[in-house]
Amino acid sequence: MILFFHQWQSELLKLFARRRTYIGFVAFLALELVIWLLFEFLNGEKRLAWLIARQGQAFEQYDSALTLAFIIIGLSVLLLGAIYLALVAGDIVAKENEDGHYRLLLVRPISRVRLLFIKYLSCTCYTILLIQFIVWTSFLLGLILKGWGGGFFVAILDPPILEFYPWGEGLERFFVSTVLISFSMTIVSSIAFFFSCLPMKPAAATIGALSYFLIDRIVRETGFMDNYDQFLLTKHISTWALALKTTIPWPVIARSFTVIAAVNASLFILGAAFFQARDLKS
Amino acid sequence: MALIEVSHLTKRWRKDRLALDDVSFEVRQGEILGLLGHNGAGKSTILGITLGMVRPDGGEVRISGHSVQTNRADALRQIGAIYEAAHFYDYLSGLQNLRVLCSLSGWWDEAEVKRVLKLVNLDKRADHKTKTYSHGMRQRLALAQALLPRPKCLLLDEPTDGLDPEGIREFRELVLKLRAEYGMTILVNSHLLAEVEQMCDRCVILKQGRKMYEGIVPSQQRKQTVFQLQTRDMVKARELIRSTGATIDPVTNLVDLPPHIVGHEMLRQIVEAGVRVDSWQAHKPTLEEFYLGMTGA
Repeated sequence: MILFFHQWQSELLKLFARRRTYIGFVAFLALELVIWLLFEFLNGEKRLAWLIARQGQAFEQYDSALTLAFIIIGLSVLLLGAIYLALVAGDIVAKENEDGHYRLLLVRPISRVRLLFIKYLSCTCYTILLIQFIVWTSFLLGLILKGWGGGFFVAILDPPILEFYPWGEGLERFFVSTVLISFSMTIVSSIAFFFSCLPMKPAAATIGALSYFLIDRIVRETGFMDNYDQFLLTKHISTWALALKTTIPWPVIARSFTVIAAVNASLFILGAAFFQARDLKS
Repeated sequence: MALIEVSHLTKRWRKDRLALDDVSFEVRQGEILGLLGHNGAGKSTILGITLGMVRPDGGEVRISGHSVQTNRADALRQIGAIYEAAHFYDYLSGLQNLRVLCSLSGWWDEAEVKRVLKLVNLDKRADHKTKTYSHGMRQRLALAQALLPRPKCLLLDEPTDGLDPEGIREFRELVLKLRAEYGMTILVNSHLLAEVEQMCDRCVILKQGRKMYEGIVPSQQRKQTVFQLQTRDMVKARELIRSTGATIDPVTNLVDLPPHIVGHEMLRQIVEAGVRVDSWQAHKPTLEEFYLGMTGA
């Protein structure tokens, strides 16, 4: 076990020693600022005030750090989250192969499956860390601009949710839902990781993963598989938002996260099986 | 005693291209064995199979009795290797690269790492990022990683590729030193004949995936069996030579002696038969001559 942690530590050293890893963090910070600026200059506040007023609530009460942070997180993850996670996870196996690092790594007495598991674990950690970074920086930005206190207004289209919470309960719901979103996004990195294990270029692995999600989303939006939407991954990914409903449907959330965990495990096993069977030679 | 046993290796690449065809040989404890062959002869494929990077279609490789194909981890614990070009993480220092690689072997000993870095003359640059290293320094770092933790055997795949003459010499001296001081067994894969000639005790020559020769590097053979004869009585000399069981090339006049006759004995018989000998010189074939003859190039 100690050996495993040493090996994982080395993998994390590799991941966090390169500058490229931090580009994501900087890009998301910039995106959060851009979203806030657009929100300010494109009458976002007015629209929000109109939406809140329509529900018979006072805008001033819900114009808070939590509401702003939630809007920023939603848009950041929606716009760049999947792309960036697929990019990093698509790189993690395929790029090392392209760069010829396996010719150094795999002449050591370590199994390919163990090496892949360490990589997968690092990739999952990175996913959770990045999403949490977006959560905390958005919340910090909200606090700087709106200060502590106020209510929490939630408006989501998929699944349809429109809720108002006081500050205390809002904080609780905000952090529970953002922890869930971190874990649900691991499925994006798992798909990219799986493609990365196949004999293909890193960019192809990223494109493969994004294409899968695009098709999944399109199929879901068209209503073509309304009765079978439990087979669509985007359905399970969006379950995190259910933590923002007045009564949280924990069994539904638990089922979706079990599906996510099972798909993650299956993708890792499949990826490892393909990687195990490959000849690593230039 | 054989440290590495390569048995009946067969490998086909896509489109049924035969890369290895029933190749067997062994690397004995403490020897330096050169694997020779033209590009595409199968040298790197053999090393790839020996390191578990490539799966053979038939046959197996055993290192210290452990099969690479069924017990890879135990087999690879005995060896250090440079397989194809060594690509390090260029954003990490030399020392960090070694730390990452050694963690995969479950081993780290600061003092031993420093000793090896000094041995390869990289101790002063170990904390610098490898992107600032020259090609020669990268090769020396590759050798350092292969030596950590101290292996019984080194597998070197084209280790001097791209090095300047000075670098090649340094590398060769280092390899010879490793064998002399630590009794290390070394398998070198190269297409540089001079390198193999100067470094290796024995060699295996491959041609299109088939083994053509396994034995002592010809120029290092102790027993002299080929001599160059110059005489004006060539007809008489040929008759006599053939009668002893030796052969003589009609064009080059090279006399190839059978095992039971030594050079001075044959010369005595020729002279006693009344042949006026102008010159009788030992002829040592170079590895190049031998290799070209073997591969028919």
